[in-house]
Amino acid sequence: MSGRRINAPLVVGGLLVLLVVIMALVSYVWTPYEFKFLPVPKEQPPNAEHWLGTDRSARDVLTQILLGARTTLFVGVVAVGVAALIGVPVGILAAMSPGRFGQLIMRGNDILLAFPALLLAIMFSTLYGGGTTIAMIAIGIATIPAFARITRSGALQVINTEYVAASRVAGHGPLAIAWKHVLPNVTGLVIVQASVSFAIAILAEAALSYLGLGTPTGEPSWGRMLLESQNVLHRSPHLAIIPGAAIAVAVLGFNLFGDGLRDYLDPKLEGR
Amino acid sequence: MTSRSRVLAAALSATFLLTACNAGSTSDDPTDGDTQTGGETGDNGGGTAAPAGDDMVRIGLVAEPASMDFTTTDGAAIPQVLLYNVYESLVKVDQSGEIVPALASEWEVSEDGTTYTFTLESGVTFSNGEEFTAEDVVSSFEAVQNDWTVSLKSQFDIIDSVEATADGEVVVTLSSPSNSFLYSLTTRVGAIFDSNSVDELATRPIGTGPYTFGEWNRGTSITLQRNADYWGEEPYYDQVVMSYFDDANALNNAMLTDSIDVVGTVQAPEALSEFEDGDYQIIEGTTNGEVVLGLNNETAPFNDARVRQAVRHAIDHQTLLDTCWDGRGTLIGSMVPPTDPWYEDRTGDFPYDTEAARALLSEAGAEGAEVRLRIPTLPYATACAPIVESMLEEVGFEVTIDDLEFPAAWLEDVFTNADYEMSIVSHVEPRDLGAVFGNPDYYVRYGTPELRALLDEADAGTEEVQIEKMKEAATLVSEDAASDFLFLLPNLIVADPGITGLPENAITESFDLSQLAGE
Repeated sequence: MSGRRINAPLVVGGLLVLLVVIMALVSYVWTPYEFKFLPVPKEQPPNAEHWLGTDRSARDVLTQILLGARTTLFVGVVAVGVAALIGVPVGILAAMSPGRFGQLIMRGNDILLAFPALLLAIMFSTLYGGGTTIAMIAIGIATIPAFARITRSGALQVINTEYVAASRVAGHGPLAIAWKHVLPNVTGLVIVQASVSFAIAILAEAALSYLGLGTPTGEPSWGRMLLESQNVLHRSPHLAIIPGAAIAVAVLGFNLFGDGLRDYLDPKLEGR
Repeated sequence: MTSRSRVLAAALSATFLLTACNAGSTSDDPTDGDTQTGGETGDNGGGTAAPAGDDMVRIGLVAEPASMDFTTTDGAAIPQVLLYNVYESLVKVDQSGEIVPALASEWEVSEDGTTYTFTLESGVTFSNGEEFTAEDVVSSFEAVQNDWTVSLKSQFDIIDSVEATADGEVVVTLSSPSNSFLYSLTTRVGAIFDSNSVDELATRPIGTGPYTFGEWNRGTSITLQRNADYWGEEPYYDQVVMSYFDDANALNNAMLTDSIDVVGTVQAPEALSEFEDGDYQIIEGTTNGEVVLGLNNETAPFNDARVRQAVRHAIDHQTLLDTCWDGRGTLIGSMVPPTDPWYEDRTGDFPYDTEAARALLSEAGAEGAEVRLRIPTLPYATACAPIVESMLEEVGFEVTIDDLEFPAAWLEDVFTNADYEMSIVSHVEPRDLGAVFGNPDYYVRYGTPELRALLDEADAGTEEVQIEKMKEAATLVSEDAASDFLFLLPNLIVADPGITGLPENAITESFDLSQLAGE
């Protein structure tokens, strides 16, 4: 374990993630304006009063970016939470179940994996009405297989070790083994996966909101900002560039962070 | 009374056709294209379009018709291309909103208002060479009553009999006097078909109009040919190609790359700034599309007129229009567009006054009233809802915006079940004040006896009585704040310079090409 080193992606990714988190936290105590139609000209370019300009409904863009960071983190937490809470136990169960049952779980997993996440989210929005939470639960469900697989592969390695065999001989039940030996050993893998899935969830929310299926009208979201800027792209390009950059920063941040974390937690992988 | 409600029902069912753009392109059989002509056709946006010349003009539209047969298929796209262009009617609505002669050179209404005598133009032929006679009118009108399957046919339920009384004369007898009848003749139900060739309505329309139906490339375009034997003034262009696009951006880009010569309807007002460099002419006209902030008059808090009036005072309509629709459109103040004969400017009834709005709210004891603004996912609704929300919260409402997918979810929750407090939707049917507010079961749940009495008197009376009573009805709807009227949608056309005679005002079911010319 002496090989653990702080690496560049970890630092850069961490800082970008931190930036998004800070924006979200700041929005709880301060935003330059209220998130609503203001009695000022619409589609202003960035200026002294409105640092990032105003949008086509004469709302302050910086306010929306700050509030949108909340939505972005929220969707990531919901999607990754759903995926991890279901995917990790399923993966451990599959690894520890001998024979057919474990196989059956993983085949079911494969079927879910074959289902495009966005399609599932669109289906959910149609069936249960739109809204950020519904869409993110769908994205979370579609991400379960990723967590189940990575957990299972990690768990399989642990289960075949001598100390697990020893523990079994000592009379510990499967639940105790899962809790005391398996789970701690897959945590690193799961955290890395969570970071990457977080980025995917952010992109999915942006895509769904852009399609009008995610965050509803009147609520701040970076994806919605893109949607609303579409018609004025030719005359106010900043309205698309700013939320686009915000999404890019968040996605890049979580991806780099995930990469860096993997290298940090598993030095053997470094340089691969 | 019964005939009234039937007309209402018909109008009700058709009110959302335009907004729904429900003439989806169902290209069942792409090889079924009509190939009776070998003319050039425009290509939509592929960049390989034929060059524009004086012999041809290419008009870009969204929403291709699913069929050419509006006797059995609903949708605004079919009459848009065929009515007044391929099919003609006895009377039509001109660009100023007036009913003018078409196939009937003149008409008389009896004293009691139930008998209409139409004198027909002579020397008119259908595009298949058959002569247009009084019998064709009789068979066309009877077909509406007997063979049509779309709900709009109920507009003709009021007809007792149609008779060809002499060569070139048709007498229509109504069961009760109705001013709506003559107007209905200007819509698709008034189209005149050749009585001998109604077998191929879906693919080969035959009419008396200035254009004949040429080639239909399903999914792409419809070509209309000049009718060389037209009885009236012959069209300027040999060919008019209607090109259909899946989305508004593709349509605008086709214009910018010169794949088309005219954008028939600009969908988003912001898009106009792409065309403001002087290379194009921008035409802004009016429509029948009143964007209504619909209030549910049946349930709290909007069952109290003072709360409704507070809403009207709270909204700064000019700012709203400037912000959410780029200032394009007309403020109306009531449910009447400027092209209707009974139009009056009612925008002064409730000037923007937040103090008055707050006072009305507190008088009604409704400060902090929680209302849901349940909007359809349509561009004008999603653009305007946040502004309405802000303006209403300013005076003390608690507004929650709720997106409902259009058409399905919105039609079910708001339109059918009236499970809403406020909504935003454009009513595009012509002369739809009665259809929207006269019916207590319609989603705004208004239809007070007082208003219904006015509407009935208007429909049964002479033209003067109709205008007077409709003005009173519009005043009542405005002053009682049955809903708020945000603005009238503009009709926006972009065209190459030199093209004239485009239908500036979209106030009929037709994209009227009869006056189209070049320089």
